[in-house]
Amino acid sequence: MNRAPTSATTELMFLRLVADSFTRRPRRKVLTAAALSLGMAVVTAALSVSLDVGDRLASEFRSLGANLIVTPQADSLPLEIGGVDYRPVNAGAYLPEADLPKIKTVFWHNNIVAFAPVLQTTVKTARWNRETQELENPAEAVLIGTWVGHGVKLSDGGVFTTGIDRTNSWWTVDGHWFVDGRRECVVGVKAAARLNLRPGDEVSVNVEDPSKMVQLFTPLTVTGILSTGGDEDNAIVTSLDQTQKISRLSGVYRTLYISALTKPEDEFGRRDPATMKPAEVERWMCTPYISSIAASIKEVLPGTDVRVIRRVAEGEGTILTRVRALLWMVTLAALLAAALAVGASSAASVIERRTEIGLMKALGAGSGTVGFLLAAEQLLLAFVGGGIGYSLGIVLARLVGQRIFGIAPAPSMLVLVAVLVLAAGVTLLGSAIPMRRASRYEPAPILRGE
Amino acid sequence: MGAPGAQNRQMFWRIVRRLLTANRGRLFVILLALGAGAAVTSALLNLQVDAKRRITTEFRAFGPNVLVLPKNTSLSDSGTLPETIAHSVPANLPSGRVVVTSHLYFVAAVSAPESGKSIAAVVAGTNPVIFVKASLLPAPPRADTPTALPPSTRRECVVGAKVARLLNAQQDAQLALTIGDRRETCQIAGFLQIGGPEDDRVQIGLRAAQRLADLPGRISSLELIVPGKPSEIQTYITELQHELPDADVRPIRQFTDAQTKIYGRISGILNFTIGTVLVLTALCVMAAMTNVAMERRNDVGLMKAIGGATRRVLRLFLAEAALLGLAGGVMGAAAGIFLSVWLGKQVFGVAAQPRLIVYPVAVALTMIVAILSAYPLRRLAGVRPASVFRGEA
Repeated sequence: MNRAPTSATTELMFLRLVADSFTRRPRRKVLTAAALSLGMAVVTAALSVSLDVGDRLASEFRSLGANLIVTPQADSLPLEIGGVDYRPVNAGAYLPEADLPKIKTVFWHNNIVAFAPVLQTTVKTARWNRETQELENPAEAVLIGTWVGHGVKLSDGGVFTTGIDRTNSWWTVDGHWFVDGRRECVVGVKAAARLNLRPGDEVSVNVEDPSKMVQLFTPLTVTGILSTGGDEDNAIVTSLDQTQKISRLSGVYRTLYISALTKPEDEFGRRDPATMKPAEVERWMCTPYISSIAASIKEVLPGTDVRVIRRVAEGEGTILTRVRALLWMVTLAALLAAALAVGASSAASVIERRTEIGLMKALGAGSGTVGFLLAAEQLLLAFVGGGIGYSLGIVLARLVGQRIFGIAPAPSMLVLVAVLVLAAGVTLLGSAIPMRRASRYEPAPILRGE
Repeated sequence: MGAPGAQNRQMFWRIVRRLLTANRGRLFVILLALGAGAAVTSALLNLQVDAKRRITTEFRAFGPNVLVLPKNTSLSDSGTLPETIAHSVPANLPSGRVVVTSHLYFVAAVSAPESGKSIAAVVAGTNPVIFVKASLLPAPPRADTPTALPPSTRRECVVGAKVARLLNAQQDAQLALTIGDRRETCQIAGFLQIGGPEDDRVQIGLRAAQRLADLPGRISSLELIVPGKPSEIQTYITELQHELPDADVRPIRQFTDAQTKIYGRISGILNFTIGTVLVLTALCVMAAMTNVAMERRNDVGLMKAIGGATRRVLRLFLAEAALLGLAGGVMGAAAGIFLSVWLGKQVFGVAAQPRLIVYPVAVALTMIVAILSAYPLRRLAGVRPASVFRGEA
């Protein structure tokens, strides 16, 4: 009966052989698949966390506070020692508060996490004694006007809430912050001790007006005690509009602090855009380097100096680059280990099938057919194992992300593709060497058991 | 009948040797899996110890994190401290050296004879003076490599960018600083634009500043860069405050708070990833090993057929697994040394110091994994020789 096998029966036989090898020795296949899944789970978790961690850490670094400072270009030289500006009251230039919403119109507006304008002045303080109807305890203090939880109306109709509580997250208030529009303030720890103030007390402040005979004091209710660990501990902090009224400087501020998410500067980012070719300038503008964000802010706020607070920006850049590199290295090591273990286990699964291969060859299968059959099996295993590993890894990455940052990394299709490709590559590579040897087997000695 | 025990032992090791060398392909595969696991284990354990220490030193990039100020400063009079206070600051910590700089701040008239301009500016007397050339910016003044000027050879000053702009001052030009009838001159060594108050100041040597302000031996503040973990810095501050009761020692919370937070996150990530990678690597190796062990049915069947007791057969395989674990572990740990040195170089630019304790731990872990992987062989105890030889599964 010399019937040439039709292609349909060959295919059927092929599928049957593959299915048979899975059902006949399920435990071994399960073990190989388990090795594969675990390996790929490591890879998935490590890749997901590494992809995500840069952004997460970058936003953690914003707890360092502002990395950009905006001052008037025409400003005179600040004479600031220990947080007190020794300039005469009317010296220096100011910036218009009305321009501030424009900051959220720049190209990088989504990267601008928070900003806070500051107007600072030296004031005379006193306390109003209700019984004697007189001002007591005259002293001097620094008055800082700024925003806290201030809603900025944007041109697109939205409201962006920002303020010094968002830029300087290390500022803590015992009590509560002042409210915009009310005559309230918080007092720095040291100033509170010096001026003997407690929450609920009232402090009257005044910026001397030489044109008036009678000096008007503005009473402010203390709503909390501020602790910053900086010079602000010695100051009274109130809302920007109150400070403007008290210092009779309406609608202006002097310094603006901006906290922006950035990409650490590399060689390219440090170059001066003036020396770049047009294509390079475009690339520079389209990368959130701190310097390109500064340049775009300067464009919308004319007459300002936008400076990078190097201490914050450089420190952040160094550490972020290091940590990112560290995690990629860990990921790489995990990848390597997983690949080797998976490769080893698929190699083992081919080695053990010497007799089977011998039998197939004795029955007339060519080396090509045998190789193809084994490769198909391995690939099937790789996709199943890779898929299971991916889902395991995603769960793991979620756990890690949730524990550390409180936010789980989003599952990424890129990782899935990478994992499946890696799984297929590693299993094929792992079984390639034993398969090559298998193709050279002589069936007779194997079947004889030699 | 003198030494059946010795003979037995001899036979035991002979069989183990045969088991190991019978199939070189398989031996290679097992060693590869175990070695890879051991290499990654030792490299990651090493990196985990090393990386945390290095990350804390990276936080130095933020500059000073602790201030020492005069106590009870009122608003108008900022007060001063004796200069000698710098000597009572402990400089060596287990986590590294504390960098101490002394500062004296005051306002003086600054004039540039070449441009004929004059302004009032804050002068900072600094010891040691950290010189940063304008061209080097935006690299921050690295606190660990201060280029101190030998005192009284040349008088140099570093001028904030804003001061320089207002004075129209050029590199190497002369500046005159005056307070009343006291006068000092200096040569501009460089400009500073770092987005801080330094941009509005002139920095000169502490001695010249003290002469100019007529405050010999006095300083306004000490700035310290304290290395170490957040908890170590806090302990240092408490101890220093205890030692300097006349001064106010305080952390610059902007940086210490952020450091606490960020350090916590980073070490959390490292612990988690390294932990999961280690556990899963062990599981991977185990699965690969188990697969290999399963094919030993025939050997077990034969041994039992010629009278091997189940216990002895098992012991044989466990010895084989332990030997494999040892060999794979040692080879892997050796590779791990190179891997961790390379990783350290890639990440921190400095080779990670190999911690010797890590390697025995990695080898031991590998052996445990190898022996545990042989555990499924217990099932082989139930193998019936006859059915194996009949070719039944």
